[in-house]
Amino acid sequence: MVKTKISKSGEITAYSEVAFRNNNALIEFCRTSACALSGCTAGIMGLTGLQGFAFYFCAVLGLWCLLLLKAGPSWEKYFVNRIHLLTNGFFGGLFTYVLFWTFLFGMVHVY
Amino acid sequence: MAELLLDPQIRLWVFLPIVVISFLVGVVRHYVSLLIVSQKKSEITQVQDNQVLIRARMLRENGKYISKQGFYIRKHFFNHEETGYFKSQKRTTQPQNPMTDPTLMTEMLKGNITNVLPMIVIGGWINWMFSGFVTTKVPFPLTLRFKPMLQRGIELVSLDASWVSSASWYFLNIFGLRNVYSLVLGENNAAAEQDFAPGMMQLGGVGPTPPIDPKMAFKAEWEALEICHHDWALANVECDILGNQVVESSIQN
Repeated sequence: MVKTKISKSGEITAYSEVAFRNNNALIEFCRTSACALSGCTAGIMGLTGLQGFAFYFCAVLGLWCLLLLKAGPSWEKYFVNRIHLLTNGFFGGLFTYVLFWTFLFGMVHVY
Repeated sequence: MAELLLDPQIRLWVFLPIVVISFLVGVVRHYVSLLIVSQKKSEITQVQDNQVLIRARMLRENGKYISKQGFYIRKHFFNHEETGYFKSQKRTTQPQNPMTDPTLMTEMLKGNITNVLPMIVIGGWINWMFSGFVTTKVPFPLTLRFKPMLQRGIELVSLDASWVSSASWYFLNIFGLRNVYSLVLGENNAAAEQDFAPGMMQLGGVGPTPPIDPKMAFKAEWEALEICHHDWALANVECDILGNQVVESSIQN
């Protein structure tokens, strides 16, 4: 299976579907881990309200930067779109984040 | 808003157990569904039809990489008026009624056993065992509209909306842990598959999708292939490859 994308200059790039899916699964893996870890951090630090959501946004942004750093200048070989790397699964991750945030906030600060 | 002081024993004996239980139940459900799932036996014509459909789709998507002759030979194999595969193969449609087909019924029952039954049993047990505790507080302010969602089981008008009752904490866990299951159990696990909303647990089966009607699928694929024309992507591939070589060699020289 081959996915294709036509760039502005008219060149056709073909993507391998299997590798494409594998990359996405790995990204999802990283994202869930990052959400859980940042949620734990926010809970232990006792962030409340908007601070916590801002922290989530920083964490996602940081993960994005790290991924781009890892992919290096040839990120186009691995991903079709850089922005989708940031926005995919944003709200699904938010759910995980809120759960861990609430959990550790409750464990540490409520009682 | 006055802060509530909660007994630390609640944390140890209510708050923590609910997290552990809801996580472990998901893991157990995954393995139980692995145990009782049965390998589907498929008939040879069905497999053949599926393969042909896949081939036709690939021809539509990637036909631009093969020569014009090759493309039209393949297209004629599928779409020729008299001898084309989609035209000559007559598949009869067998209407499948899930209520009369025993295998489908068993599959549905298995889906119910792994998905719906634990929900009801464990949810009811949590409700009965840990009822009436204020377990935790979400660290962000919420409007009053969230009160019935987060404070199921305790009706206190004056309580702030960000306090969470034990039953609601269980539901929060179920939703939030779905991503964690895919982290722990790998992709495509059975624990994360279930799709339901609290209060909307329906007994209708999460049965397997019935096999698609081959006649309709053939007709759709025939139509899609009929409007597909050859558009060669490699028209000036020689130029591209040789041109680059010429440039590179001239640079080296």
